[in-house]
Amino acid sequence: MSKLDPTIFLVDDDAAVLNGARRLLTSAGLNVETFESADAFLDRHDPAAMGCLILDVAMPGLSGLELQRALSTKRSDLPIIFLTGHADVPMSVQAMKGGALDLLVKPVDEADLLAAIDRALIRGRALREANELAASVEERLATLTPREREVMTHVVEGRLNKQTAGDLGTVEKTIKVHRARMMEKMKVRSVAELVRLLERGGVSRTPMQ
Amino acid sequence: MSWIVIIWAMTASACLTVGLMHFVVWLKQPSRDTHLSFVAAAIGAALMAAMELLMMRAETVEQFGVLLRWSHVPVFILVVSIVVFVRGLFGTGRLWLAWTVCGLRALSLIVNFFAEINLNYVEITGLRQIRIWGESIAVAEGAQNPWIWLGQGSSLLLLIFVIDASVSLWRRDGDAVAKRRALLVGGSVVFFIVASALHSALLHAGVIASPYLISAAFLSIVLVMGYELGVDVIRSSALAVELRASESHSRAIESRMDLAIDAAGLGTWEWDVARDEVRISDRSRALLGLTGSAPVDFAAFLNRVAPPDRDRVREAVHKCLENGVDPEMEFRAVSGERSDGVRWMFSRGRVELDTNGKPALMRGVVLDVTQRRQMEADAREQRDELTHLSRVAMLGELLGSIAHELNQPLAAILSNAQAAQRFLVQGPSSHDEVSQILKDIVDENKRAGDLIRRLRVLFKKGEIQLQPLDANELVRDVLKLMRGDLINRRVAASTELAPRLPEVSGDPVQLQQVLLNLLINAADAAPDGASEVHHILVRTELTNDGEVCISVIDRGRGIISAELARVFEPFVTSKKHGLGLGLTVCRTIVQAHSGRIWAENNAGPGATFRFTLHTMRDLQHEQT
Repeated sequence: MSKLDPTIFLVDDDAAVLNGARRLLTSAGLNVETFESADAFLDRHDPAAMGCLILDVAMPGLSGLELQRALSTKRSDLPIIFLTGHADVPMSVQAMKGGALDLLVKPVDEADLLAAIDRALIRGRALREANELAASVEERLATLTPREREVMTHVVEGRLNKQTAGDLGTVEKTIKVHRARMMEKMKVRSVAELVRLLERGGVSRTPMQ
Repeated sequence: MSWIVIIWAMTASACLTVGLMHFVVWLKQPSRDTHLSFVAAAIGAALMAAMELLMMRAETVEQFGVLLRWSHVPVFILVVSIVVFVRGLFGTGRLWLAWTVCGLRALSLIVNFFAEINLNYVEITGLRQIRIWGESIAVAEGAQNPWIWLGQGSSLLLLIFVIDASVSLWRRDGDAVAKRRALLVGGSVVFFIVASALHSALLHAGVIASPYLISAAFLSIVLVMGYELGVDVIRSSALAVELRASESHSRAIESRMDLAIDAAGLGTWEWDVARDEVRISDRSRALLGLTGSAPVDFAAFLNRVAPPDRDRVREAVHKCLENGVDPEMEFRAVSGERSDGVRWMFSRGRVELDTNGKPALMRGVVLDVTQRRQMEADAREQRDELTHLSRVAMLGELLGSIAHELNQPLAAILSNAQAAQRFLVQGPSSHDEVSQILKDIVDENKRAGDLIRRLRVLFKKGEIQLQPLDANELVRDVLKLMRGDLINRRVAASTELAPRLPEVSGDPVQLQQVLLNLLINAADAAPDGASEVHHILVRTELTNDGEVCISVIDRGRGIISAELARVFEPFVTSKKHGLGLGLTVCRTIVQAHSGRIWAENNAGPGATFRFTLHTMRDLQHEQT
């Protein structure tokens, strides 16, 4: 298990459970931050922090599921692992539908917990990377002129310069110029790269605020 | 026929008849000597009438004189018997006066017989014939004997005596009979004596000429006396009739009572405390197993009480005797030949005091109540059974969240242990951390064990066992048990616990059951479809009456006013499933604790359920 920057956030109202989990994860070499309630977590956690959230479902006040809903409204990409002392079907379904990564039943064996955390962190990293890429693509797209954007659309569809010129009502030469500038601004060296970029940026694209 | 003869003969016979009648009465009731004196008076009067008749027919002076002399005997008899009669009937009259009268009359009788002729005349000069009613009768003429004043004096004293006795009788308070008697007898005696004395005096003084009328006066007196005696006799026979009637009435009552006692299976007993003798009925003997007809005393009775109860019974009886309080107790009887288990007896007595205020007599009943006790025990057992089942059903509802609660400490233990395993690998620098971990593991283990133990107690069936309890701790324990369930239902329970509450007496399992039920109901009362947290408040307080009151207040749908009392009835429920017995059982439990449970609607939304419990202090006061 490699040391990762990310922080594992623990939220549980039962102090003993919280302490035990903290010790376990710390002994495994992870960064841990603990919160005794969902409200405390919302108030105090750093939204920009990376890592994952380990969350008890049944808590007084704001429950685990309600916290999940709250985080999703905030467009948080923090992966959530639910812990529960008593799993019933409706609650589990709701948790998974809400986008939880996993649902574990207490008492949780360390192997299961660490494996889930692993998956969560990897997923988190992937999400982050995807988001960063999307952000970067957005950035690059923003630098394009409207004409260049039009040309890009046609290039991505595999249209030849001649066809593009015909579609847009201009000469091939002009198209070539736009194309070259677009490729430069988008920082790609081939059409294939451009297509991949847009796909990856588009698929994991989270709308900019 | 000679009128004189007829009249005087009739007078004599009337007196004799009346005398005879009362003589017969006296024979039957020799104790009543007023009758005897009356008989003497009647005889005297009859003799007097006979003498007067003879005197009126006298032919010679000597004859007249002798007759007159002998006539003083009936006079003497009459005077003495009047005195005795008045004293006997009235019960009054001065004794010395009575003796004086009799003595004086006796003296005059003696003087009469020692006189030449008689007391009245020193010398009778002649007999004059006067005509009355077509006949001639003899009347004496002569010189008066100066000793006549003896006779007249005694008559006067007799008068005084009778007047005095009558007045004393009249003065007797509130006795109408006495007043009448005084008036009638006293009055008539006085009247007739005065009249006849006057008449005699005038006759002997020669002022008037007529037959002696003393017998007439005497007859009148005798008749009056006879009337009074007759009234007496009638009255006593009326009393005898009344007595018989009331005797037969009380016999009827007694036989009715015997029937009732027998039908009820009661044995009666009567204990003469001073002589330590107990009179008991056959039923009592049978119930207590006192065979034979040997006399019974308190010790013999105590022997029939089962040994474990003997001291208690003896002390209770002695205490009741000391304080003059009526005893009432239940005890086990020593089983008889058919030793088929314990027999329970109920006995209640009444203490009767003597004139000094000391207990003289104790009367009571004894009854076999074995069957009743058995039925009570059966009913209690069924109630306990129902309580238990209701409790188990309720805990069953909570099972999910109870499992959750158990998983918390287990999860903590597992994480801690696995962390410790890792720390140990890292070496001795983590020693302190591992030590702390192990301590936490132990604590969490205890926490789990505690919960399991609590649950086991709640699941067990058992009889009610009263102990001193802290109401606040009761509330806290139940909330801990329900924690998981409350969280799941999105219910937030808060408490307002009065500090320094006195301890209550109660069975912890059953009281937890009541609180659990009320809390579950409060949680269920949450308005449908509410997504917000539902608040419940549990409050403990000391009421003005010195009882501890626990309230569960919710902000839910509330209860229809008409239903507030009905919710405790069996099979009343607003839930979709469930028998509706929970609150009924709660009421049974609270009542078994001598408390009250009731529901109210809040001023705002929701309802409040409250129940009260006695404090240990209260119960100690009650016992003393």
